[in-house]
Formats: sequence, structure tokens, C-alpha cells
Amino acid sequence: MTRITNLQIYCLLMLTTASLAYLAAPMVTIHSAGNSAWLTVIASVVPGALLIYIYLYIIKKSSRPFPACLEDCLGKVIGKFLGILYIIVLFWGIAFTLQYFVALIGSSIVPDTPLSVYIGAMLLTGYYSLKTGLENIARVSQILVIYGVPIVFLVVFISLGENLNIKGLMPLVDTSVKGFSHGVFTSFIFFGDLIAILVLAFFSTNREKVPRTLFNVLYSYTALILLTTMTSAMEFGSEYTDLIAFPALKLARYITISDFIKNIDAVFVALWIIGIFGSIMVKWFLACYTIQQVFNLKDYRFLAAPTSVTIGIISLVMGKNIIILQIIIHDILPAVYAIFYVLIPLIVSGVLLFKPAPAANTADKLNNSAA
Amino acid sequence: MRYRHSRNKPENSLSPREIVAQPLSDKLQQNLDKLHLLLERCSDIVFKEFSFGPNRGRRGVVIFFDGLVDRKEVEVHLLKPLLLEVNMFNHDEISWNKTDIFTLIQDSIVSLAEVKAIDTLQDLLHSISSGDTVLLIDGYSQGLVAGTRSWQGRSVQTPENEVVVRGPKEGFTETLRFNTALLRRRLKSSNFKIESFVMGRVTKTDVVLCYIEGIAPPGLVAEVKNRLNKIDIDGILDSGYLEEFLEDNHYTIFSQMEYTEKPDRVCGHLLEGQVSIIVDGSPIALITPTTFPRFLIASEDYYERYIFSSLLRLMRTSAFLIALLLPSLFVAAITYHQELIPPSLYMTIAAAREGVPFPAFVEALILEITFEMLREAGIRLPRAIGPAISIVGALIIGDAAVKAGLVSTPMVVVVAFTGIASFITPSYNAGIVIRIARFGFLFAAAFLGLFGIMISLLIMLIHITSLKSFGMPYLSPVAPFNLGQMSDIMVRRPWFLTKMRPTMKGMENAVRQGENDSARK
Repeated sequence: MTRITNLQIYCLLMLTTASLAYLAAPMVTIHSAGNSAWLTVIASVVPGALLIYIYLYIIKKSSRPFPACLEDCLGKVIGKFLGILYIIVLFWGIAFTLQYFVALIGSSIVPDTPLSVYIGAMLLTGYYSLKTGLENIARVSQILVIYGVPIVFLVVFISLGENLNIKGLMPLVDTSVKGFSHGVFTSFIFFGDLIAILVLAFFSTNREKVPRTLFNVLYSYTALILLTTMTSAMEFGSEYTDLIAFPALKLARYITISDFIKNIDAVFVALWIIGIFGSIMVKWFLACYTIQQVFNLKDYRFLAAPTSVTIGIISLVMGKNIIILQIIIHDILPAVYAIFYVLIPLIVSGVLLFKPAPAANTADKLNNSAA
Repeated sequence: MRYRHSRNKPENSLSPREIVAQPLSDKLQQNLDKLHLLLERCSDIVFKEFSFGPNRGRRGVVIFFDGLVDRKEVEVHLLKPLLLEVNMFNHDEISWNKTDIFTLIQDSIVSLAEVKAIDTLQDLLHSISSGDTVLLIDGYSQGLVAGTRSWQGRSVQTPENEVVVRGPKEGFTETLRFNTALLRRRLKSSNFKIESFVMGRVTKTDVVLCYIEGIAPPGLVAEVKNRLNKIDIDGILDSGYLEEFLEDNHYTIFSQMEYTEKPDRVCGHLLEGQVSIIVDGSPIALITPTTFPRFLIASEDYYERYIFSSLLRLMRTSAFLIALLLPSLFVAAITYHQELIPPSLYMTIAAAREGVPFPAFVEALILEITFEMLREAGIRLPRAIGPAISIVGALIIGDAAVKAGLVSTPMVVVVAFTGIASFITPSYNAGIVIRIARFGFLFAAAFLGLFGIMISLLIMLIHITSLKSFGMPYLSPVAPFNLGQMSDIMVRRPWFLTKMRPTMKGMENAVRQGENDSARK
């Protein structure tokens, strides 16, 4: 029976939320809120915490993991329909993350190689990982986060020493209420990736401590994004940051150590492969697990091969250039996240309010079968 | 003529296998006929027939393989008492003919420490093949096995592959009993168990499973025994045969069992709850379960002061990464990511590479393959000239290749540095993994630069984390993460802080120092 520790859940959630957000969040929040972007990151903690409470309530009240609990709450037909929609959304999310990252690689480190080669290499690795199962994905994510997060913080801290201008964080009053609210929204929307907990919690070795794990993710994520946003704003100013496709990459490019080590953005991108890989893997597992639940299949691992082809095709047709990807990240992604990762869970939690909690032993039995 | 026919083929209808399965007969001649048939064309077998007792009225035979026994022991402690000293008994009192002579000989006449009775031909053959001597007496359907094993073997020497500066320098030999004695001398506890198995249909190799009862998880011991019992092969000539049968995943370059020639290292692992398998004829003991981080630990680490050992471990980890990645990183930087190299350094490298006809990848590949060949040649060549040939070969070939403009000096430096770093890994099987994986990284770097290296690293990581050694995750305590045990992986934890053994599923006694209730049981 598959069981993962809460530390592993923390690592899986950090990978799935922070990997893409680290690249995109500073840009989208500065685009919306200008110099006040760093404040929007702090402010997003409040709706983020509320979203976490919604997720925790669903976990507490439902006896089955998320895709299956939709059927329990909203009826079999609507539940299955929504389940299929979630499958589509998850695949779309994976394909977007992949394409967005591949665009980053193509734009910076090896421009002449066809993007399909990168996508193929990432999918091959993901396929192998998914075949080994959730337990192994969790172990790999543990290594990636424990060694990766300190490196990311190190990159940000080192870049703090380069040409910083505190004016990038002020004046606060210039920001409109609408811009600030939009900034909070865009910053908050990345918390939607925490929806993975609705599945992962059912594999936890200690489900009582899942809330603590979720809040630890919230704090770590906020600290990382806040620091990156502040550094980007201070380093480049809000106007210029708004124009940069990947501010985090630009930060790494500015790092100079002893006037000898320079231009280490390629190293940074290479390291970030592991972050993006982790993010893709969690979503890929969720997608396959959702398929298993919706179609009552025995296992999800055999889906690794066909789904990898699907993701590859979606990814290749999704965005031919960075402009399309920027439109997606500014406009489409927040809307999709808001509907599927916030609104529907909110409705489900509302429905669960009027449902009795499952009996303890029944819940355990169902957990075991889910696991 | 009829007699001869009967003597050579006592039971025409039975095959040798069926004869072997038969019990011993109380008629000595029948037993001898069967043995002659079974051991025909075995020139090293010795049948010493004799008569003893009053009036030499009782026939007996001593059977052994020449070269496997201590002849002096056979003569002094077995034959001499039977032929001479038995006559010193007062036959009137004993009433010779009515006495159970077999028991009398076993208890009172044979002056050897190890004596036991057997009653099948199979046991007889196994005993004499193992170096024991068997005595058969007419009128008794049992044989007496006398422990007379002795053969020429290598004495206890310093293992050549695990040289230490500080710590015990004894190494295992090819003789199983010497090896178990080396362990027993260090583990003076009745809880130290050595369970025997006979494996190999033809070789009948003695194999022992060593563990400390109360420390080794019972589930682990049972699983090892279970896997050992399932092995059905004609011969076991070395512990390497068993390794492939016992490991969890056969399709991997990563060894899931640790092996060593050092008894102190085996004892150290047994005290941590692992089990060891030793095969007669092999100086290599297998240790299981093991994890990958352990391959970077030398037994000497625990004998040196912890600060020094910790620094050595950090250096070893760095050397491991250098040995694995340096050539591929260099190729990736030269081929795709020139901006990473500081301009002044890049100019130096570019100047040195000017005129080299090959791309960096091919250059690295040629040098790596040459280096591997020299290394292998150094091992296979006679000891007296091996190191000299490999050093001279490296110097001459390297110098000539650079002068001929086939390879550049920076690449020679990179490959040489990689080679030195790979020798720092204390475990030979981890070293092999590095050597193989390095080529994979080299190809990935040549085709996709840093991206390729990272993808290869990820694939390797996923593969390692998916492996298990007797149910234990192969990358633990890194993943699953265990902070307590990590303190004895990256660095060496001081002995005064090592209160507990490494966690292992099912371990009953995890406490190494201080009060421990389970230890008292």
C-alpha cells in the first residue's frame, strides 16, 4: 500500500506550486501592481490561507480523494463530467508548464535545438518516473526540494548584492486599488496548485498533521516569491521587469562572483529543470490518478505512456512563441485556476457542509482502497 | 567372473543418483561396491581397508580424498587407535563381540574433537568431499565422520583492494572456517549466529549466513534464508554468484549488496543489524541490505578521529561528483555554454584546442576509453610490471597524443583528474557504476549540453530511488529523508553521539549505548 510522509507531501506541494510561480509570479504581479507587487504577495497569504481551509475541510468531510468525491457530492453524472474536465485541465496545465519552461531553455541556453527535443526528453523522464509510482516520485521530490530550495534562495540572496535600488519598492500610493487587487489575485491564484493535497492527503502516513504541512508550504512559498519579487523590483525596477519574460533568469544572469564567475543563468536554468520536472510530475500523477478514479481503473501507471504522447502533442501545438505563452499566463491561466482550483472546490465544500462526516472506520477503509 | 561383475555393478537397475540416495548398508562390501561405482575414475580417493579387534576379526575401511585431509590426524587419531590401542582394552571385561563397537569407537577410541555418525551415502560423499574422513565398519549401517579437514590455502593477509592506514589489516581468505573464525574472534557473543547452507548440486559449496540475533531484524534473516533456499544451480564458485540471485532488481548497474574482504567491516555492519553471507572458496563477504550512500563510506572512517573522517567523507563526496560529471560538464561548457567559462580561461582552452581535429566530445571519449583500457591492463598485467606499464603507457600515450595534436592538454588534465577522483571511491562496485554512468553523461552533454546532463541526473536519481535492497530504500537516508541518520552519511558522527543503530524495519534493538530494555531480553 502506497504511503508517503508529510515531509514528502510538503516537498511535492512545494515543487508543484513554486516551480512555475518562481518564474512567472514576479512578472505577473509587477505587471498588475507595479512597485507594490511585493505587498500583493504578502496580501495573497490571506486568501491563500482561506483556500487551504477549504481544501482541509474537503479532506476532513470526504471519504474519497478529490476526483471521486466530486461524484459523492454532486452526483454521478456531474461528478464524472467534472472529473473529465479536471483531466483536461490538468493535462493542459502540464503542457503549459512544459512549454513555458522549454521556451525559457530555448531562449537562453541552447537556442538552436528544436523545442520538441526538450519536450521529448522531459516527457521520457516523466514517463519513467510515473511508471515507478507515487512513492518514488515523493522520494525524488524530497531530494529535489531539500537540496534545490536552498540553492534557489542562495541565487536570490547573491543577486541581492547586485545594483539594488530600494526605490523599486516605492512609492506604494501610486498603485490603483484595481491594480493591487489584480496583483493579489494573480499572486494568490498560484496557490491553486495546492489542490494536489486533495489527493495526496489520502496517502499520508499521518493525516492529522496535513494542515501543518499545508501552512508550511504557504509560508515557504510566500517567502520565496516575496524575495524574488522584491529582488526583481529592486534590481530592474517595475517598468523594466514588466517587459522581461523571465525575471528570475535575468537575476541569475546578473550574478557575478569575484569578477570571475559570470553569466551563470545557464546553470540556473539547468538546475530549474528539476523544479519544473517536479511540478510536471505531481500534476501528471494527479491527471493519471483522476483518470483511474473517473473510469474505475485498477492502476494509473500504465497510463504513463499514452498520456505522455498526449501531453507532448498539446505542448507542441499550444504555443509557437513566447507571446502566446505570455497571453496564457496573464489571462487564461488565472481564469482556469480560479474556476477549477478555487471555485469548484468552494462549491464542493459548500455541499459537504450539509453532508454528515463519514464514519471513522469507513473512511479508513476507503483511504486504504484509495491508497 | 560372476563375482567381478557383481563387484563393479552391484545394482544394474539403479542410476548413480538413485544409489546416492540410498542408506548405508550394514554389509561393508556392499557399501564399498557402491562407493567404487560412484567414485570410479576419481584418482584422489583413498580407501584404507583394515582389520581390527581380537584376532583381527572386524573389517573396517577409512575413506577420504587425498589433499583435503590432514593425513597425520588420520593416522594418529583414527588409524593408530583402531589398529594398536584397541588391543589394549581388556576384552574379557568388554566382551567384545557383544559390545556396540561403533559407539565404543566413537566415544572411546577415536581421539578427534569432531566426530559424528551418518547413515546415508549422500552424507558420506558430502563429508569426504568437504575434507572429512569416514570410517565404515562391517556390521554397522552407519559411518563415522571424523573432522580431519586440512588443505593448503592462503593464509590471512592484508586485502589488496581495501587498504587502510588505521585499523585492522586482516582480510578474509578462501577458506570458510578461517573467515568465520575471524568474525567469531571479534564477536564473542552467543547471539552471533552462523547458519550453514550447502549450495550447488555439483559443487556442494558451503555457504554461511552470519547475523547477530536480537539486532538483525528477524524478517530480514528469514527473507535472506528464503532467497538462499530458492537458489537451485549446479555450482557456486564465488559469492558473486549469490549476489545476482539475491538482489531485488537484476536490471541495473547499481549493486544492491555491499561486499568486503575485511572481517572488521563485516562485524561493523552486523552490529548495525545487517546480515552477511560468506561462501567457501571466496574471500569476499556479501553484506545486505545496503544503501547507495554507504558506498562512499570507508571502514577506516570509524577508526580515525571523527573530524578528520568527516572531512575525508566530504572530499570523497566531491570526488564522486567530479568523477561522475567533470568530463561531461567540460564538454557541455566547451560545446554549448562558452559564456560560463571566464574569458581568460576560455582563451587558454581555445588556444590549446587549436588544431585538434575532433570535437570536444570525441576528444573526451577517446581519452576516457584509453584511460579505461590502461586501468584494466594495469589490473590484468603481472603485478611486477602492471603499474609500471600503466604509468608509462599513460605518460607516453598522453604526451604523444598531445604532441600529435590529436587531443588537447586541457582535456588530458580533465580526464586525468577524473581518473584520480574515481579512485577515491572506497567501494569497487560504486567505482564501476561511476565509470559506466560517466559515459552516459558524456553523451547527454554532447547532445543537449547542461540540459542533457540534468535530465540524465534526474533519470539516474529516479532509478536509484526506485531501487531497494531487501526492502530497504536504496537511497535512504537521503530519500526517504532521515535527519538522524544523515548525520552519519555526509559526515562521520562522533562515537559519543552514536546512541542508536541505523533504523531498519523490524529491528528489535536499536540502542547502541546506554540503557536498553530490549537488549536485556
